Amino acid sequence: MTSTAQELHPAPTLEPGRTILELKGLEKRYPGTHALKPVNLAFKASEIHAIVGENGAGKSTLIKLLTGVMPRTSGDVIWEGKPAALATPHEAMALGINAVHQEVVLCRHLTVAANMFLGEEDSRFGILQQRAMVREAQKIIDDLGFDLPAHVVLGDLTIGQQQLIAAARATVRGTKFLIFDEPTAYLTRKEADQLFTLIRRLKGEGVTIIYISHRMEEVFELADRVSVLRDGTLVGTRNIAETNDAELVKMMINRSIEQVYHKEHFTPGATLLEARNLSGKGFENVSMTVRAGEIVGLYGLIGAGRSEFVTTLYGRHRKSAGQILWEGKAVQVNSEHDAIRLGMALAPESRRDQGLCLNLPVGLNLNLPIYKRISSNLLISSAQEKTEADRQIANLRIKTPTRNALASSLSGGNQQKIVIGKWLAHGAKLFIFDEPTVGVDVGTKAEIYRLFSALLSNGAGIILISSYLPEVYELADTLHVFRRGKLVATHGFHTADHEEILTQALAEKQEKPGGQI
Amino acid sequence: MSTEAIPAERPKRNYNALFGLTLLALLVLLWVILSVATPSFASANNISNLLRQGSMIAILAVGQTFVIITGGIDLSVGAVVGFATVIVAMLINAGVPIFLAILITLLVGVAIGTFHGFGIVRMGLPPFIITLATLTSLRGIGLLMTNGNSISINNDAFQLFSRSSFLGIPNLFWMVILVGIPAYIFLHHSRWGRYLFSVGSNAEASRLSGVNVQRTIYMAYTLSGLCAAFVGVLLASRIGIGNPTQAEGWELQAIASSVIGGTSLFGAVGSVHGPLLGAFILATINNGANLLNVNAFWQRIITGVLIIVIVYFDGLRRRGK
Ligand SMILES: Nc1ncnc2c1ncn2[C@@H]1O[C@H](COP(=O)(O)OP(=O)(O)OP(=O)(O)O)[C@@H](O)[C@H]1O
Ligand SMILES: [Mg+2]
Repeated sequence: MTSTAQELHPAPTLEPGRTILELKGLEKRYPGTHALKPVNLAFKASEIHAIVGENGAGKSTLIKLLTGVMPRTSGDVIWEGKPAALATPHEAMALGINAVHQEVVLCRHLTVAANMFLGEEDSRFGILQQRAMVREAQKIIDDLGFDLPAHVVLGDLTIGQQQLIAAARATVRGTKFLIFDEPTAYLTRKEADQLFTLIRRLKGEGVTIIYISHRMEEVFELADRVSVLRDGTLVGTRNIAETNDAELVKMMINRSIEQVYHKEHFTPGATLLEARNLSGKGFENVSMTVRAGEIVGLYGLIGAGRSEFVTTLYGRHRKSAGQILWEGKAVQVNSEHDAIRLGMALAPESRRDQGLCLNLPVGLNLNLPIYKRISSNLLISSAQEKTEADRQIANLRIKTPTRNALASSLSGGNQQKIVIGKWLAHGAKLFIFDEPTVGVDVGTKAEIYRLFSALLSNGAGIILISSYLPEVYELADTLHVFRRGKLVATHGFHTADHEEILTQALAEKQEKPGGQI
Repeated sequence: MSTEAIPAERPKRNYNALFGLTLLALLVLLWVILSVATPSFASANNISNLLRQGSMIAILAVGQTFVIITGGIDLSVGAVVGFATVIVAMLINAGVPIFLAILITLLVGVAIGTFHGFGIVRMGLPPFIITLATLTSLRGIGLLMTNGNSISINNDAFQLFSRSSFLGIPNLFWMVILVGIPAYIFLHHSRWGRYLFSVGSNAEASRLSGVNVQRTIYMAYTLSGLCAAFVGVLLASRIGIGNPTQAEGWELQAIASSVIGGTSLFGAVGSVHGPLLGAFILATINNGANLLNVNAFWQRIITGVLIIVIVYFDGLRRRGK
């Protein structure tokens, strides 16, 4: 395998249109779950092939089989006409199959450069060659048009930036077949555009791309063909020109959705929370109020200080200046505990780092915030523990064999539902949802928005953070735009258009010469 | 996904129970083999002896398991045992009523555990370091207090306790039950037990879910210290002396018992019955090896090999599910 920028992409060995990889009856069973029922599908050389489907439909499983991360139960994979065993990731990479996985699987403590060459450090990149490695990596990153430093530790980058590094890493390995599993979930628009440019360029160089996403507009923007998975079965494949949004959704969930963004307007009640000139790490001088019955949306780029602002409200971080008022009274929120006691709930941004106990059962994760309520003095009521967990599993349609399955065994979107679900039974007055629908399928999104309405109608208020403009735009009664730690604009429901809001969120970046938006 | 109820995944709890049964089967198997191999094994005397030997490590292992579940480790327990023998011996010899002497000794254990919690939570020290520091310094403090001598305890009633039996079962083994049942309820049926697991799995997520992570860590180390001090009292009763150098290396036996019993050193996996069985499996091997005149050096090697084998198979099956 090569690792220099010059030899970035190998010349394609197949002319476009020929089949490069074929699945014949590919099947995967996990204990308790038939994740992929025999699937037949052929991928053409240098096409962009989108795969869509509900949470838990088997998309990531398919990718794991193709990249040798998991062994298949039965079936064949034909690579360039010959059966491939794909028993190890190494074998897949040797063939030229690479993937950017849904969850970043790189070493957070190593530098960006070290991650780029992980597993194939050339002897030239021995201890004395650190600098050469960084230089090499920087060259590749610049060449791809990503504006990122190669010498920093990976963990210091945002999740979106890490995802870009993962993509860059996948391109340096002589790739012929590259899979992206929900790559844009954590990307800002600018980053997503950079990624799309990269994808188109790779396609032009003859690489076959598999693109998994829950965002239909991306599928229509990028893909040549699209395949739909439902319950582990391939429902169909369409040329992108011959299908539309509604048809795909229908194929995915076997029913149609009239309206994803379910929105009810309630008359706002009393003010629940007020932030007065609040400052802290990552944000400055932010003032806003949240009233009962309203959704306050915070839009901005990732890293604009929205998460820092809400975690400070929630007592996770210290404020450096300003005041928090709860129901009209000034309060000190020194810990999460204080916040929860006041009546706040926070569903955090990163499900892996902040949201879930991955190696514990789904039920325990769901009940974690309410154990106090479902124990009488000393003991937990095991009946209540069961009913509470099962209720959330049913309400949010979390796909799991039982509540005793480990959270790590769920698909990405279903894990996300736990992060939200654990607060729904808590009875808080102010819910803070930080990127609540990342990786969640359309059907469930609609379900979650309906739950938001239910919370509002019970007199709760919601702070909704999203980097996905349509979501906050359609749902927020009040929309605040953040840029670089400052609240730069405020709009009412639909009082500004997308263009204006985007400009406000990006403004400074735009002025940078040569910067892409 | 179609979620057919294939029994393999209803698991977690089933799996725990299954693993427990496997350990129990292993223990019984060892007993059967040893009974056949050496006539003295099955004698009432030897069995009582074995139960006494195993009991103290078993109690230590329970406390140790709480700590390991949070993702920590408590290296100090052996030293706490030795230190506690000194405290209880001095108190009894000073004429303090036995009941009060025991209570004070237990409180000393609690204080030591709280100190560990303080070091970890407030000073940000790694558990390995703070408990290692206690391990060496407690032995030193004990030696200072005793001038390096053993203190013999002048109280027959106190010593009688560990030598007697109730319903034919040694009192020391009853103590395992006395500790084991509340520990089981605490770990598996109280919310604090759930918090131990959640903190060991992901402290940040627990914290954001309203779990008091710091208090949970204090609790784990305090309980471990309490168990160790209790074992110190039992040991003092059994050997009739207070000596700070007693219980050398018991922390490793406790950790080994816990790990054999299915506790994961990465945290968030463990039970109460596992470590108890693990402790008695270790005790049986030592006891059997003694009876069979196996060289003491070999005993250590066997113990090491056994740890590798059991943990390896446990890991295999966990992954296999
Ligand atoms: N390691 C595992 N053990 C057991 N079951 C698993 C495991 N990984 C996935 N599953 C199950 O297989 C099914 C398919 O999961 P998969 O991750 O492929 O879904 P997905 O289509 O990628 O969904 P999402 O859009 O949420 O990412 C799910 O029901 C999931 O619970
Ligand atoms: Mg997935």
